[in-house]
This record gives sequence, structure tokens and C-alpha cells, in this order.
Amino acid sequence: MNSLLTPAVAGLSAGGAYAILGVCAIFTYRLVAVVNFTGAAIGAAGTFVMVALTEHGMPLFPAVIIGILAGALVGVMIGGVMTKWFSGASATTKAAVTAALLVGIIALGLRLTGGQRPHLFPDLVSGSAFRFAGVEVTWGSLLTVTLAVGLTIASDLFLARTRTGLQMRALSERPMAAELIGIRVRVLALAVWGIMGAVTAFAMMIIAPLRSPDFMSLSLLVVPALAAALIGAFRSFRAALLGGVLIGIVEGMVSALEFGARFRGVVPFLVILIVLLWSQRGARWDAAR
Amino acid sequence: MPHASTRAALSTAISIAVVAALIYFLLPKYWVYIITPVFIVGVTLQSLGLVTGRTGMISLAQMSFAGVGAWVTGYLNVAQFPGGLIVWMIIGGLAAVPVGIAIGLPALRLRGINLAIVTLGFAAAFDSVLGTITYPGQTAFIKVAQPAWFKGDYGYFTLVVLVYITIAVALEYISRSRLGASWLAVRHSERAAAALGVSVPKAKLSAFALSAFIAGVSGGLLAGYLGTLVADNFNMMQSLALFAVATMAGAHLTQGAIIGGVLITLFPELLRRLNLPQDVGSVFFALGAVQALSTGETIGETWARLFRKVVPRRKGADLTGAAKGLAPATKHATGIALEVKDVTVRYGNVVALDDVNLTVPAGKVVGLIGPNGAGKSTMVDAITGFFPSYKGSVLLNGTALEGKSATARALLGIRRTWQTTRIAAELTVGEYIRLAAGPISHTELTAVLDWIGCPGPDTPIASVDAGTRRLLDVAGVVAARPPVILLDEPAAGQSYAEAIRLGARIAEIPEKFGSAVLLIEHDMDLVRRACSSIAVFDFGRVIASGPPQLVLALPVVQKAYMGIEPEGAVA
Repeated sequence: MNSLLTPAVAGLSAGGAYAILGVCAIFTYRLVAVVNFTGAAIGAAGTFVMVALTEHGMPLFPAVIIGILAGALVGVMIGGVMTKWFSGASATTKAAVTAALLVGIIALGLRLTGGQRPHLFPDLVSGSAFRFAGVEVTWGSLLTVTLAVGLTIASDLFLARTRTGLQMRALSERPMAAELIGIRVRVLALAVWGIMGAVTAFAMMIIAPLRSPDFMSLSLLVVPALAAALIGAFRSFRAALLGGVLIGIVEGMVSALEFGARFRGVVPFLVILIVLLWSQRGARWDAAR
Repeated sequence: MPHASTRAALSTAISIAVVAALIYFLLPKYWVYIITPVFIVGVTLQSLGLVTGRTGMISLAQMSFAGVGAWVTGYLNVAQFPGGLIVWMIIGGLAAVPVGIAIGLPALRLRGINLAIVTLGFAAAFDSVLGTITYPGQTAFIKVAQPAWFKGDYGYFTLVVLVYITIAVALEYISRSRLGASWLAVRHSERAAAALGVSVPKAKLSAFALSAFIAGVSGGLLAGYLGTLVADNFNMMQSLALFAVATMAGAHLTQGAIIGGVLITLFPELLRRLNLPQDVGSVFFALGAVQALSTGETIGETWARLFRKVVPRRKGADLTGAAKGLAPATKHATGIALEVKDVTVRYGNVVALDDVNLTVPAGKVVGLIGPNGAGKSTMVDAITGFFPSYKGSVLLNGTALEGKSATARALLGIRRTWQTTRIAAELTVGEYIRLAAGPISHTELTAVLDWIGCPGPDTPIASVDAGTRRLLDVAGVVAARPPVILLDEPAAGQSYAEAIRLGARIAEIPEKFGSAVLLIEHDMDLVRRACSSIAVFDFGRVIASGPPQLVLALPVVQKAYMGIEPEGAVA
């Protein structure tokens, strides 16, 4: 029993992080209508700013704050590109833009962070929170999952209950119409990108120590993130939350298997495949008329 | 259009051969060695251009397909499989096909974004698996053997160029065939493609399968070039960079693929010589791709445009004169061609069509009129199969069509046009008609174009004005000679004189082509001229039907149109 439970719980913190990234991906899609391939890379940028600062002797707390702000800034910069040149573009074009930007960001990030050179990632939270059925549950996993749940609830409430949320929904559906009724489209869109950047940066800081911590590996966490978002059909935050956590747990269990260690990276792909095959049974057409 | 495609294929083959010969005879061995990968990458880029450029699906795993081909080639080499590298890389390409189809399947129903996510996921998964297995023969220092005829730097360069030319020429032919036109049509609008009888899943899967094959072959070529490979040759970054370069250079054009190959291969070399870090290249590619996406023009297209300024494209002769060579009208079943029985369509709580009954007799033009929002276009969507479900039944020559897809209905013989034209601008007039009509003789093709007043078959659609494109819509459906044609406001956006002319043409359709027509139109002069009977819709119901003069004079019809009770009998 424990032989499966331990790795499952070990996958929890990664799962929480995937859930956060997945919720952020849906948030970006629902509010600014972009399937964002750079999401994790934005977070990675913030994380590495934090690491660079701590390596130069800055205390952890201000370094984390500055790192989060840096994530927000990178987010706003990418958002600036998207809103300036691609606000009227099709969803496919926008996705292509972020995919292309991902290459550039990764290349730039690898250059600035010295490629595969190992960095010292401080544990933001460490140690065991409690034991559950003989298995250690770490503060890290507790924090990511809590954060993911909080973010999910907050996103749901924000979109459903607030005036800004309503405006943002209008913005993503018909940017031009939203602009014409006096919504400050650009400012709102940039705010979304900034917030997403900040949140992902923080999530990445928590899980970075658990990963092979180079810029590229962190940026490519966008794969499980998008898998989680797909489980939520790019609509439901709650489904994405569950999906993200589930992917983390399955990954943890697979890597504990003797033959499975090398196939951990395959899990998100299989999830994507299954979800898409399931969700697309009915015929759908592109935009009418 | 066999002449045009042969001409294009020849000019492609000759121009590449000339460039390759110059390299072969003028450059030293070192440079030939450096330039060889330009064409290898060019092959991979062509594979990406096929899915992304032509079919409009984003693939971020192209290097993984190449990896499949490379690994298979490696295994066959170690196993000393007979046939040598050329056979191995073809088998490698074939091995990549099922992988490509398996990945394309889940992305069939939705547009490009899902495929982007699936392929990125696949690239990540492939990375993690490939990272754990070494290249076949690597530990025993067995290199992939180059074919006896193409050994050495010069020899292998020749092989690579030959493969490149073969694939470029094949793609040139395919892109001008109906299959190639169907890819562009799917990219432009899936609905419109389905309405032309194109199977959207088939078009997408064929593009994906062929693309995976070409990528697999390029992997085999790379294996022969380097002798042994490492997983990093095929990692995600490579796939992403390839995507960026394809987007920037326009890999669906052969010159674009070569420009892309030059960028990927020689740019790092240039940076190295300038003592700049080589990974700056990727940043440059990313910016270039974003730039190309924002302007909507790739480097390859810019070159083609500038080239056409210098050497203007031969314009197809304009057609004038009476329709000659039009085959006699097709004999379809007589009686009721199209029958709509008790059809109800709801959007949520809104009833768009409420128990509608309508018949279109064979060989007649029936008008369908009514104010905006009356449900006319909804009716066309229901008849042509663009709703997943509706109540009631649609019968074509007495056979119920329920459960048949839009593509199947189009193939059975219900064709439609759209309120706004949805013709892919990359096609030529002739290619579009061939896509719409299927096998059709050149005489028949020009006769149809001539009949409706469209420019000649070699004219690019991009140079045709919007009004003429509407005519082309009609030309496409009549050329298919189906039993039933649905025209959704064909005269919208036409001038009065053009509309009158179009009306006369529509009235001729049954006599010339044998098809029955359901015509939706607001232009009453056109309706009177073309239709033998009309039905009037309001709020999703048929409120009147019968001969045009009688129906248009009915007070209830005038109220529906004008919103007021008419004071006198105005026709």
C-alpha cells in the first residue's frame, strides 16, 4: 500500500504546481483568448531572477518578491506583444506566436542562466507538515495544493461575481465591441498577463527545487500545464485543478515503478491524448458564416 | 491543369538543380559539407510547411517524426537490412506515418491549437524516451553506411539534393491536385471545405501522414550525413526552432524551405565566425516568426512577390463569348428533388425553424425569401448537415439524409454557397472549380467559367474582386452538377446590373446543368426573374408559398417585409 502511496504523495507538489499553471492557462485563454505556450517560461524567468538575487546574497524574502515582480513584468511584455500586434488575430495565429516566442525565451533564458549550469535553488518551504497513513506530507506539497485550490476559487469568483470579471469576459469574446463600449481593453489585458506572470513565477519557485532546475526544463512544464487546462476544456477551473493534481500524482506513481522512471515524461502526453479523444466525439465546426 | 503543374514542377526542379550544380562545381569540399544540411533541413521544413503552412495545423513535433525515421534507419543499418540507406530512409519515413496519424487523430475535430498541444506533448514524451536509448550502433561505433553511389562529401550532397528535388516536385504536383486544394480549403474554412464534399478528417490526416513521412525521410538523411546521432538532434527545442523558422520563411513554398534551411544551418555558422553565441539564433528566429505572423507574409512569399514584379505571372486568357462546349444538362431523377419535412431547429430556447415544410421540384428554381433572422440560412445549414441534430427530415430524391455528415450530403448531391465567400485565396480559379466539381474536363471548366462571366482558370483568386468571387461560388456548385443547389444570397454585394445578369444565369441553371435550385435572396427583381415559385419565411415559419407574383402581392408577405400593413396593392 505504502509503496504506491508514498510516490503518489510525492507527486502532490508537482501536481499542485501543474494545477496552478493549468488554471493560469485557462485564465489567460478565457480572458485574453490566447492559448499561451510561454506560461511556464514566464514563471521560469521570475524564478531565475529570484535565484540570481539569492546567489548574490540577497535574503530570501525580498528576492522572492522581486522574482514575482519580474515574472509579472515578463508577462506584461509578452502581453504587450500580443495586444499590440495580434489583438485581432485568430486563435491559431496567437497560439503560433506564443509557440514561436517560447523558442526565443528559452534560448535567451538558457544564455542568461548559463545553460545547464546548476543553480542553488532555495527551498521556499521545507520539511514535513504531517504524517498521513505513515507517509510524509511536505509543507511544499501542502502549499502548492492549497494555493491551487485558492486560485481556482478566486478565479471562479472573479469571473462570475465582479464587474471587472464581467468586462474581461466581454473583452475576450469580442475585443472590438468591448473597446467600443468603453472598456479599457489594453490595460485590462496587460493586467491579466501581469497577474498570470506573478502567479506562475511563485508556483515555479516552489517546485523548481524538485526538478532538474534549468531554464528549459522549467519552461517546458507548459506541457503538463496545458494538459491540465485541456482536462478543464479551457473553461472549467475546477476540472483543471483536479486534472493538474491527478497528472502530478500519476507521474509520481509512474516514476516509482522500476521500468517507469524513464516514462514519467510520457504521462502528460497520454493524458492529452485520452482527454482529446474523449472530448471530441461530436462533430464541431469552425466559426459560423 | 496538367500543363501548369508540370511547368511549375520543372521550373522548381531545374532551379534547384542549377543552384546545386553551382555549389557542387564551384565550392570547396568543406563548404559542400557545410551546405549539405541546408537541404536536409529543407526537407524537414517542407514536411512542416505541409501541415502548418498549407493545412493550417500547428505541429511542434516535427523533429520527433524525424527522430523516428532516424532511429529506424539506424536499426536497419545495424541489422544490415538489404537495400542500403535509400531503402532504409523510406522505411523510416513509413514508420513515422502511423505515429503521425495517431497524433493527428485526436486533433481532427478542432482547429490548430489542439494539435499544437498534442504535438508539443508528444515532443516532450519522445524526448524523455529517446533520452534513455542510445542511437543504434553507437556503442559499437557502427556508422550509418552511405550508399555506394553517393559516398563522400560530394556524393552525399548529390543524394540529399536529389531527395530534396524529388520531394519538392512531388509536393508541387500534389499541391495543384484536388488533394492539395482540399488542404488549403480546410485551412481556410472547414465548413466551406465540407460543403464542397471534402472530407475534413481525410484532408487533415492525409496532410499529417504525408508530413510525417517526409520528416521521417529527413531523419534518415541526417543519419546518413552524420553517421551517428544523439537524442539532442531531435529534442523539443529543435522542433520549436524549426516551427519558428518555418513560420518566418514560409516552408510551404520550396524557396521558403531552402531559405529556412539556410537560416538554420548557416546562421549559427555566421554567428560563430562573428564570435557571437550561437543560441542567439533562436531568439532571432522567434522574432522573425512573430514579425512574419504580424505582417502575414513570410520571407518565401516576399521573394515570390518580388519575383513576380520582375517576371509577371502569365495571366490566363480572359474568356469572352458564348458558352461553348458546355456538356448537356445532367439527367437527375424527376419529381421532388428536395423535400424538407417538419424540420424544427432550436438554439436553446429560441425556435429558429418551427415545423417547416418545403419542396423543391426537380428542374425548378424555388425562391426562399423573408426578413433577416427569419431562419433562411438556418434552413440551409440544416439541409446541408451543419447541425448536429434537428427534428424532422430532409429528403433528397425521396431518400432521408438524417445521420449523414455535411461532406456526405455534398457528395450525394446537395451543394450550397455561403453568404460571404469562403474561397481560399491561394488557389487559382481553375483549381477552385476542380476542387468543387471533382473530375471535370478542361473544355467543360472553361465553358462554365465563360457562362457565368468569371476570368480564366489560371487567374489567381487573390487577384479576383469580391463580386466575381461570388460568381465563382456559383460556378463551383453548378460545375459539380448536383441534383440540388442551395444559393445563399448570391447577389449580396453585387451591383444592380450584375444582380440582374446573375438572375438570368440562375434561371438557366436547371436547363443548362439539370440541377434544381433553392435561392435565398433579398433582391426581389432577381427573385422574380429567376424563380418559378417562392416560399416566404418569417419567425422560422413558412407564411406563404406559390408563384412569385401572387405571393409577393399577399398582404401578409408585405407586412413581414415592410413591417407595416400595405395601403394599396404594391407588387
